[in-house]
Amino acid sequence: MLLKLLKAERMKLRRSPVWIAFIIMPVVPALLGTINYLGNLGVLQSEWYSLWTQHTLFTCYFFLPILIGVYCSYIMRLEQNNHNWNRLLVMPVPRGLVYMSKLITASLMIALSEIWIGALFIISGKLCGLSAAPPWLELIKWCAFGTLGGIVMAAVQLCISIFIKSFALPVGIAFGGGISGLALLAKGYGYIWPYSLMAYGMESNAPQEAMTVSSGPFAVICIGYIALFTIAGSILMSRKEL
Amino acid sequence: MIGLLKCEYRKTRRRYVFITALVITACELVFAFYGKYEGFILENGWMSFLYQLPLINSIFFPVLSIVVASRLCDIEHKGQQLKLLCTMTEKGRLYDAKLLYGLGIVSLCLAVTFGAEIIFGKVMGFGGELPVKLYLIYMLFTAAPTFAVYVFQHTLSMLFKNQAIPFFAGIIGEFAGLFSMFLPQLPALRKAIIWGYYGVLQFVGLYGWTKETRYENAYFEIYDRDWTFFAVLVVLTVVMYLIGRKLFDMKEV
Repeated sequence: MLLKLLKAERMKLRRSPVWIAFIIMPVVPALLGTINYLGNLGVLQSEWYSLWTQHTLFTCYFFLPILIGVYCSYIMRLEQNNHNWNRLLVMPVPRGLVYMSKLITASLMIALSEIWIGALFIISGKLCGLSAAPPWLELIKWCAFGTLGGIVMAAVQLCISIFIKSFALPVGIAFGGGISGLALLAKGYGYIWPYSLMAYGMESNAPQEAMTVSSGPFAVICIGYIALFTIAGSILMSRKEL
Repeated sequence: MIGLLKCEYRKTRRRYVFITALVITACELVFAFYGKYEGFILENGWMSFLYQLPLINSIFFPVLSIVVASRLCDIEHKGQQLKLLCTMTEKGRLYDAKLLYGLGIVSLCLAVTFGAEIIFGKVMGFGGELPVKLYLIYMLFTAAPTFAVYVFQHTLSMLFKNQAIPFFAGIIGEFAGLFSMFLPQLPALRKAIIWGYYGVLQFVGLYGWTKETRYENAYFEIYDRDWTFFAVLVVLTVVMYLIGRKLFDMKEV
């Protein structure tokens, strides 16, 4: 059933140009962050780690939250237009699965952009002529945890988009969420707040320092949030007039 | 035109457009005011603001413009309202009315921001007198790029039914503009994109700050105001407006 729903989601998004943004957006920090890195080699002396900071700092705090917000708004907008909810919800499909299929669709896009960010990081490092070997294991961890944190954000945004039938407002909330995430990360509560989990997982501000919460508990927190918001989204779909 | 503006007001009643804009403005102010105000920063608070705020403005005002433009234009795309409206008034006038109404909201948010910044400086007790002339130029140099970005977003939001497109275009542009402010070695980049003009028109720089000595030898320097590129930005805004209006005029609604 879930596979069929995922197929349906894919069909709805076919020929839609929104995925292009997830490909273009990481190119901007990769290009300009690398130029900035090369221009400040005297200050940025930690090679791959300094380059990672340049590539991901603003991306995690401001731009990926907004992109995720736009993508989730768009996915929900497809149903809000022309009373598509009415058609969708009379199908013999559990509402929780409908929510999950949308979350998985958004998650795939987040995973794709994380892989792309990682690939651009390696390409930039090689072009810069960094002598040390790339930190492969850490890169995989940053990207995987970034994806996990991004999925939490997507789960929250989908709930908001069910609740608010506007395109722009949930994106504004995602932007505010990203900023609140930055503030809580600075205060040391980055592992608690849904909007700071992505930046926390990607270790964009201090890639060399160990996370205050180790990998296991971080993954548990993320999975817990995803489960919580999936249940909340399913309940919202059942109770709220769509 | 007054009638059309009244219509815009009625259409946006209870849609929380202004409140949404104010919330984004409040986020900017919280972000801008966060920090320790003591010693060098408190003494040179007014200059410190003129140095730091353009960067913060380049993050928040483009987002404000994207959200406001999208909210106002999306009303018409939903339910095919443009078909109805364009039988009653000229397309160009409709484009102008929506643009004016949106610019009005953005201007109010700019005014709130500037007012709050000055009040904050007074309450915190920034050293010296408020440099009124410099702050008036700062306001002008903040409003100009914001209006340029708004005209761009308004045009995209009017042209595309799919509001994800203006959002993505705006975010990518904003991202490039923000990064261009960290790349003084590439002055052409910030001059080539409208989002970079927050940096182009910045006229206060900080020198002498190092990680070791921090503010011990630091000082602010005021550059010459770049009126040439201010004029370039104004011309760009007018050109974008004319092209946008023409494109909307030619668009099938």
